[in-house]
Amino acid sequence: MNESLISPFNFSHPTAVQTSLYALGSFARFDPSGRFIGVGRFDGLATIWDLETKAAVRWLDGHVKAVTSLDWSRHSQYVLTSSKDWNVIVWDLASVYDPPQRHATIRCDAPVSSASFHPRNSQIILALLSTGEVYLIDLRKNHRSRTELYEPDGDEDGTEGQSSRRYAMTVARFDTSGKYVFIGTSGGYILVFNTRTKAMIARHRIAGGAGTIKGLDFAKNGRRLVTNSSDRTLRQFIVPHYPRSPETGVEIFLDQELEPTHRFNDPINKTAWHAVSYSPDGEWLAGGAADAANHKIYIWDISNDGQFASTLDGGREPLAHLHWHPSKASIASTTNQGNILIWHSPNAERWGAFAGGFEEVDENVEYEEREDEFDIEDEAEIIRRKKEAEQDDVDIDTIDGANAPVYPVVNGFHVNGGNGAPLSGNVGESLDEDMKWADEDANDDIGVWKMKILMDDDDM
Amino acid sequence: MDPLAGMDDSSTDDDNASQTTEDDPQIPEHAPAPPPPPSAAPPLPPQPSLARREKPHYELRHTLTGHTMSISAVKFSPDGTLLASCGAENIVKIWSPFTAELIRNLTGHTAGLSDLSWSSDSVYLASASDDTTVRIWEVDTGLTHKHLKGHAKWVFCLNYNSTSTLLVSGACDGDIKIWDARKGKCVKTLHAHLDYVTAVHFNRESDLIVSCALDGLMFVTLRCVSILRNLRIVSSRIWNTSTGQCLKTLAEDHNAICQQVQFSPNSKYILSTAHDSAIRLWDYKNHRCLKTYTGHTNAKYCISACFSVTGGKWIVGGSEDHKVYIWDLQSREIVQVLEGHQDVVVAVATHPSQNMIATGSIESDLSIRIWEDHSRQGHQVQGTTTSN
Repeated sequence: MNESLISPFNFSHPTAVQTSLYALGSFARFDPSGRFIGVGRFDGLATIWDLETKAAVRWLDGHVKAVTSLDWSRHSQYVLTSSKDWNVIVWDLASVYDPPQRHATIRCDAPVSSASFHPRNSQIILALLSTGEVYLIDLRKNHRSRTELYEPDGDEDGTEGQSSRRYAMTVARFDTSGKYVFIGTSGGYILVFNTRTKAMIARHRIAGGAGTIKGLDFAKNGRRLVTNSSDRTLRQFIVPHYPRSPETGVEIFLDQELEPTHRFNDPINKTAWHAVSYSPDGEWLAGGAADAANHKIYIWDISNDGQFASTLDGGREPLAHLHWHPSKASIASTTNQGNILIWHSPNAERWGAFAGGFEEVDENVEYEEREDEFDIEDEAEIIRRKKEAEQDDVDIDTIDGANAPVYPVVNGFHVNGGNGAPLSGNVGESLDEDMKWADEDANDDIGVWKMKILMDDDDM
Repeated sequence: MDPLAGMDDSSTDDDNASQTTEDDPQIPEHAPAPPPPPSAAPPLPPQPSLARREKPHYELRHTLTGHTMSISAVKFSPDGTLLASCGAENIVKIWSPFTAELIRNLTGHTAGLSDLSWSSDSVYLASASDDTTVRIWEVDTGLTHKHLKGHAKWVFCLNYNSTSTLLVSGACDGDIKIWDARKGKCVKTLHAHLDYVTAVHFNRESDLIVSCALDGLMFVTLRCVSILRNLRIVSSRIWNTSTGQCLKTLAEDHNAICQQVQFSPNSKYILSTAHDSAIRLWDYKNHRCLKTYTGHTNAKYCISACFSVTGGKWIVGGSEDHKVYIWDLQSREIVQVLEGHQDVVVAVATHPSQNMIATGSIESDLSIRIWEDHSRQGHQVQGTTTSN
């Protein structure tokens, strides 16, 4: 809310390091409220940092090998960690115990490369194994299941002989609505599955070929998608619309080549990218360069036709991961030494702010005195006018925007908590079957929770 | 001398007679008031005209005696079950607001106390003392959990942020300190003022702090920002040595010294009390004074005022004429005056969920009074408060 006080202009990208957290992490992710940051470590520990005090507040000790990914539930109450020890663990931060106890443990058949919550229901979990398989795990009582998402190889006749089936799956993500699962493969394909039916509804080849897809990120409105692939290029695509057959209501299978709207790369050094992240408004794209000697973040201005905007230099420790804050011009980037740099956009001190009613101007302005500027007004009139001005009602206790960071603006209106407005970027779609399915038997991640206040005992 | 003489014609009696549409404008003393018609229940905001005609009917419920020196602050715990009070003696007293029972004395400070703040889980209580320290108490055990040392002078005011991870305190040498409540360590010092810092308060998001001081400067600072209504030029040196940035200065024509400030429950506005006997509600983003509440007397003491949102929307403030005033938030009319204290009412607090007000007075009175309004339901009727 104070963004408007600090900079009345528009949203920008971060420019300088504000803090560095000595976290020993391999990656760091902001929670949807932006208050916490979750860090995964090589030693199997995951830590939750409070950005208000810049201190670690919870230690999630459950894995015995490196943590590979961490995800937050919609209201930040639950944290999911995946690890090379074949486990996925869900933690409840509202728990009164410290250290927090695990809420659920999912044992997989291989080391887990990444796992994430369904955006609408934290009981539906997507897990990618290092063997190149993707599982959709449903923890709800009525839907309890574990389903592998794979490309059916029955109808070879229609496809162009070269099935992507033989390729390993290298990245798996829910789209922003959670209706679809997007999977990137080592063959440069993007496969799309319906989350509810688990059926593959589309297969996209990236035009021109791209090599292994290493990363995927969606803009918050869900309409754009960026891929990071082994040919050292980031590609932005418009997410296609998946039409449904009018008779069955099932998506028609789409086998389509995707043409990127933009390609981003480093033309000089030809560096690869470790991570890529959109800004909350989708106007900026940050790429973390896989530079062995420097910590460099490249920023592109999407609203300005993808023009390169700037490079952020974070010093000598090479970058391993980055994540953009859910609502602010802030980035968390992790160095390969395990330090987390929090980037922000500093504001110059405005000395004019020290004087009431004083306005700073950038350039000299020829001042023209108003006709009545120095007229002496009738005091009674001033008081009367002031009283009149004070008649407007004020609202002192409605908290609006409290949830704004969690619910992005979609299609021009605010998406409210679970009551039906679409989270998806697909225009004009209301709460359809897929959404209803996902909302069924939702757990208690409803946004009203408090983290128990802890006090260190070492004092006195 | 008559405090009511300064008011315009909005005395309580006139209002009752001319404006009230409820069937019983005059509630007999000590008789339970009939519940208001359901349509007048306040949770529906789009009926301001109806809400405006409502009046509070607070009655004295309890008088808590025990303090031996002037009371400086009373605070309800966020769960509503306890009331903490402090004064110029060295102890904090914990009361039950429902039974008027003294539950516990928290002893440890070596000089008088000026302010209190509860953590949001009602487990911890922070106290600001003239012994230059802040103590964080675990209220259940009565033990000091943290002892925050660092201020060079008397600590005058303090507040937790909404998540109770940070504590902000202001001292008489003009410094504001921000503490990590968990570790008990000072994380930042803002050399913000030149004189007594009389109030500091976090907004909901904890990214702003508003503060004001007797030097006439009213600051808001979050760890890095400040908003002020100031009446003097601040030398730039002060701000260069702190990382705080000044965001805004709210200025009115008058030169009244502002002595208490706080954010509204939604943090959109700032409520300030000033020594020109006026309480003001500011829209700090647009530099505007939205409301002025007058009629009470406040020219000398640091007197607190607060929002009451459990029934109707009121502003409750103490006064130097020994009374407590309740204004209608919107119409700015005085809707009730609570009489009973024998001296200046400096401390005022509203209950988080029930229609209850606690007030504390100084030297010749030394009592805490609990006032209740049973004529309307609070927003949340909660089970925790009925345990006794």
